[in-house]
Amino acid sequence: MKNLFNKLRGVERDAVQKPVEGEAPFYLPQGNEVEVFKAAYAKRLPVMLKGPTGCGKTRFLEHMAHVLGRPLVTVSCHEDLTSSDLVGRFLLEGEETVWQDGPLTRAVKEGAICYLDEIVEARTDTTVVIHPLTDHRRQLPIDKKSQIIDAHEDFMLVISYNPGYQTVLKDLKPSTKQRFVGLQFDYPKEDIERQIVKTESGGLDEALVDKLVAAGRKARGLKDHGLEEATSTRALCYAAELMNAGLSPMDACRAALIHPITDDPELVEALEEIFRAHFGAES
Amino acid sequence: MTEAETLVQIQEVLQHLEHVSFVAHRDTKEAMPSVEPHGAADTLLWIETARDLFFRDREGGKSFLRHTPHMVEQTGTVRPWVEQAATFGKWVNGWRALEGFLAQAGEVWQAWGAEGEQAWYQLGIRWCERGIPEGRAYFEAGFRELAGGEGIEGLRGLMQPAETLYTERKLNLDVFLAGATIARAMVGSRGLEAWARRGADILQTGRSRGEAYFRLESEESLKHLLDTLPGYRPRAHSRFLRLIQVAWFGAHVSLEDGNWRPGRGRPMVETDGVRLFLPAVLESRDEAVVSVLHAAGHLHFDTYCGEDIEALFQTMGMAHPPLDEDQRITWRPLFAAYAERMFRFQLLFDLCEDLRVNHRLQGLVPGFLSRLLRLARNHPAPEGAAGEYYRIALAAHESLITGQGLDARLQPLLSEGATIQDSFRIACALFEDAAFPEIDVEGREQAYLPGLSMNTARAVYPRKRGEPVGGYNEDTDAHADQKAVQEKQAELPPPQAPEQRQNDPDPDINVPQENTSGSGGRIGVGIPMPAQVDKRGVAHQQTLEGVPYPEWDYREQRYLSDWARVHEKRLEESDPDRAELLLAEHAPMLKRLRRALELQRPSRVAPLRKQLDGDELDLEAVTGFIADKKAGLSPKPFIYRRRTVQHRDTAVLLLADMSTSIMAKHPSGQGKVVDRLRAGLMMFAEAIESVGDPYAICGFASRHHDNVNFYVLKDFHEHTGPDVRASIAAVSGRLASRMGAAIRHGIRRFEQADAHHRLLLILSDGRPADYDDGGDSRYLHEDTRMAMKEAVDAGVHPFCITLDTSGSEYLPAIFGPGHYLVLDNVDDLPRRLPEIYLRLRR
Repeated sequence: MKNLFNKLRGVERDAVQKPVEGEAPFYLPQGNEVEVFKAAYAKRLPVMLKGPTGCGKTRFLEHMAHVLGRPLVTVSCHEDLTSSDLVGRFLLEGEETVWQDGPLTRAVKEGAICYLDEIVEARTDTTVVIHPLTDHRRQLPIDKKSQIIDAHEDFMLVISYNPGYQTVLKDLKPSTKQRFVGLQFDYPKEDIERQIVKTESGGLDEALVDKLVAAGRKARGLKDHGLEEATSTRALCYAAELMNAGLSPMDACRAALIHPITDDPELVEALEEIFRAHFGAES
Repeated sequence: MTEAETLVQIQEVLQHLEHVSFVAHRDTKEAMPSVEPHGAADTLLWIETARDLFFRDREGGKSFLRHTPHMVEQTGTVRPWVEQAATFGKWVNGWRALEGFLAQAGEVWQAWGAEGEQAWYQLGIRWCERGIPEGRAYFEAGFRELAGGEGIEGLRGLMQPAETLYTERKLNLDVFLAGATIARAMVGSRGLEAWARRGADILQTGRSRGEAYFRLESEESLKHLLDTLPGYRPRAHSRFLRLIQVAWFGAHVSLEDGNWRPGRGRPMVETDGVRLFLPAVLESRDEAVVSVLHAAGHLHFDTYCGEDIEALFQTMGMAHPPLDEDQRITWRPLFAAYAERMFRFQLLFDLCEDLRVNHRLQGLVPGFLSRLLRLARNHPAPEGAAGEYYRIALAAHESLITGQGLDARLQPLLSEGATIQDSFRIACALFEDAAFPEIDVEGREQAYLPGLSMNTARAVYPRKRGEPVGGYNEDTDAHADQKAVQEKQAELPPPQAPEQRQNDPDPDINVPQENTSGSGGRIGVGIPMPAQVDKRGVAHQQTLEGVPYPEWDYREQRYLSDWARVHEKRLEESDPDRAELLLAEHAPMLKRLRRALELQRPSRVAPLRKQLDGDELDLEAVTGFIADKKAGLSPKPFIYRRRTVQHRDTAVLLLADMSTSIMAKHPSGQGKVVDRLRAGLMMFAEAIESVGDPYAICGFASRHHDNVNFYVLKDFHEHTGPDVRASIAAVSGRLASRMGAAIRHGIRRFEQADAHHRLLLILSDGRPADYDDGGDSRYLHEDTRMAMKEAVDAGVHPFCITLDTSGSEYLPAIFGPGHYLVLDNVDDLPRRLPEIYLRLRR
C-alpha cells in the first residue's frame, strides 16, 4: 500500500523510466556535442564525457536522453562500488532466493542509456564488467547466473571522467578509454553562459546576469593560483538563483561562489574584489 | 638712577668698548640706534649685556650685536630677549647656541607671542645646561619643524622623549633630532619614545649603526617605524595583489619593494617595464589596488612599447632612445628640451597617458574609474599649481565616466588604437596652452591623483607591442638570455671570506682556499711562487664515475647515450637539533595531521570486505553467500570482514629539487624557502610513516651533465628515525637542477620497492636548468619531458609540485595537464605536502 502511495505522490519512481513528455531539460549546445552524441547513438557507440566539475555534463546527458526519448539510468560511482552493485545479486525472500538485477543489467535489458558518473572512483572490477558492453559484442556477462545478456538494441553506455590531479593514480586504463567516443566539455563561452545562467535563474535581470557571468569568468582565472576547482557554471546558476530569490548580489556571490570553493583568506579577498568590482553599484 | 646718569653710564660703557676693541665699538654704535628709542634704561641693559658677552666670548658679543636690529624690529621690545641672551654668557663657547637662539627668537616671538617665545627659550636653556652641543642642536633646529605644526605643545611632545632618554641613556639631542621629526610625522608623539628608545639601545651596541638608525638610513629603523605606521602594507598583501592581477589581466607582473623612504615625498608605485615596485606603505587598501591595477595597466596597454618610445625620441630629434648598461631606456633626454619647464611637460604627458590607460582599464575592470575618483575626492586636494593640475586630472577622469565635458584635445586618447605617441603629441599641444600653470618638482609630486604615479620615474626595459606581461616566452622575450645569465650568476654562491668558507653548508663547493685562487699566484707574500692556473680555472674535466644515463637532445632528436652521470650519495650534514626544533614547531600541525589520519583509518580499514578469514562476518557477503547457495550455486565462503591496515600498495619517492634557488629569501622576507621545504619534508615523512606506505625521500642537485648528485635522505627500507630526521633538517640548496637525470635515477630506485602503484613526487621551485645547458632552457625542458615519458613507460606515475608561480606556463608541456600542482603560497608547503600525497593515493 505504502509503495503505491509513494508512486502516486511521484516521490518514488522506477530507475528505468522513459522521460516524461514535455520540454527537454534545458541545455544550450557549446559546440558540436549534440551532433556527435546523436551520431554515436545512431551507431550505439559508448561515449565518454570529459570535463571539469559543474560544466554541464550531466545536464547534457539528461537533455540528450529526453531528445532521444530513452530512459536514463545514472549510477554515481564511489570507492566501494563493486561489480555486483552494477550487475545485480541474489536476495533472500522467505525461503526463496531471488535474483535482483542491478541498474546496469536493467538498462541493458530495457534499452536505456546507462550513465556511470565518475567511473574512475569505482573499483577496478567494475571497469572490467563494462568491457564486453563497449565493443561489437554488446553483451553483459552475469557470472553468478552463468548468463550472458545481449544488450537491447537501444542500450547505450555513457561514462564521465574528470581528469584532475586527485585521480592521477586512478586514471582509466588506456585499453578502457579507447573503447569510447570522447566528448570534451569545458565551461561554455561567455554569451552562451549568460543565456544559461539567465534561463536557470528563472529570468534574473539581464544586467545582473551579464555582470555575474563576467565576474565568474574572471574568477575562473584564479585556478592554479590556489583554487582547486574553478568557478563552475553550476555555481553561477546557483548565485543567480539566490539573487533572484532576493539576496543582494554580493551575499549571493559569497554564498554560492566564494565560500564553497576556498578557505584561503587571500583568495577570498581576491574573489570578493572581483565580484565587488562588478557589482560595485548594487552592493 | 636718573635718565641723565643712565646716559652717562651708557657713554662710559661705550668708551670702555672703544678702548678694548675697535670691532665691538663699531658694531655697538651701528646697532644702538635701533635700541635707543626704547628708553635709556633698556639701552643700558642692552649695552652692558653686549659688553659682558663680548668680554666673555668675542664671537657671542658679535653675534648679539649683529642680531640686535632685527630682534628689536620683530619683537618690538628689548628687555625680555636681552635678559634671555644674557644667560648664555655663563657658558664658555656658548656663543654657538646663542647664535642659533638669536637667529630664530624673533620669528618665534612673532609666531607664538612673548609667552611662546619664553617657553621655547626655557626648553632650550635646559638643554644648554645639559651641555652646549645639546643646546646648540636645539636652537639651530628650525622651531617650526620641531613643533610640527602644533605650536609649543608639539615642541614639548617632541622634546619629552629626548629629555627622558638623555637622563637615562645619555642620548645626545643632535643624534635624536636627525630623524625625530620625520619619525614623529609617521608615528606621532606617542610612538616616538618607543622608536627613540630602540635607537638608544642600538646606539649602545655601535655608534655608526645607531646614528644610521636615527638618520632613518638603516632597515631596522624603517622597519620599526613602518610597523607602527598606519596604512596598507602592500608587502603583507603581495599574494592578494598578485591574484587580482591574474583575475583581471590573466597574468601578473612581479611585485618588488620600491625604494621609497618615509619623509621622502609621496609613496608611489613605479615600474621598470618588467616589474612593479611598491612602496612599503600606501594610504589604503583601495589605493593599493588602484595603484597596482593602474601600473600593471601601463604594461598591458603598451605604455612601454619600445617601438612607440623610439618614435617619441625621433620626434624629439634623437635617432634612438639612450640605453643604460642594462639596456633600459632612460627618459630624461626626452624632456631635456623643456629645460626648467620639464616638470610641467612631464605632468601633462603623464596626464594624457594615464587617461588613455585608465580609459582602457575601465573597459577591463568594471568600476575602476569610480573607485579611482572616490579615492581622489576623499584625498585632500593640494594647494597652488599642483592643486590646479589635480583638479584638471579629476575633472578629466570624471568626464571619462559621464562621457561628456572632456577637453576636445584629449578626445583622441579614447580611441581604440591610441598609443603613447598620441599622448605625447597631445601633451606637446597642451604644453603650449598657458592655462596650465608652471610647476616645480615638489608641486609635481602632489599633482597626481591617488593611485596614479610618475610613469617615467624609472628607466624601463622596452616591451614589444601586445607582449604578454609576466609571461615567459622563449622567442619573444628580449631579456631571456640576459635573465638566464643573471639567474645563473645569482645561483653561484657569493664569494666568501676564507674563514667563513670552512663553515659553508655546501660541501660540494667547500674547496680549500688554496685551490680556488686561480691565476695570480701569491704575489707579495714573501715567498716567490709561479703564477699558476689551477683547479677552478682549468677546463672542465669529465669524470667517468657514477651511474650513466642517456639524455634527450631535442636539437638532434636523439638520445645522447651515457651523457648524464648520477652520483648517489648520502647527505653528509645532519642537524639533529634543528630536527627537534622543527618537530616541536610543527607539533600542532602534526597533531592535526595525525588526527586526520586517524579519522581516515576506520574507513580505510573496514572496507576489507569479502575475505576468506576475518574478525567478523560481512553481512552483505553472508546474504549473498546464502542466497547463492540456495540458488543452487556453490559460492566460495568469502564472508568475513577484516580490520587490518589495508595495504594500499602505493610506494612513493619524493624527489626534491635542492638547487641554490631554494636558499632564496621567502617572499615575505622572513626566513628562506628552504626552511619551509625542510618542514614540508619532515611533515611528509611523519605523515607517511603513520600511514605505513613504503616511501623514500631524495634530493638532487647538479653541476654539469656528468656531476648530478642524487642525495638519499631516506630509503624505502629505512625506518624514519633520528638520523633521517636530522638529515632532512640539514637540507640546503646547492648548484643547479638537471631534473631529467634525477628522474631517471628515481625510476631505477623504484626497483627496490615492490608496490603496485609507484608515485614519483617531484618537488621543484623552478625550471630545470644547469650550468652547461648553454642558456637554452628548452634543452632540459625537452629532456625532462622525455624522462617523464620513460617514467610512465616504467609504470611510475610522475607528479610535480612546484613553488614557481609561473609553473603553469611550462609544466603542462613537461608533465601533462593534471600532473602538476602549483603551490602559490610557500607557507602552505608543510601542510599541503602530506595532504597532496594522501589525496593522490586515495
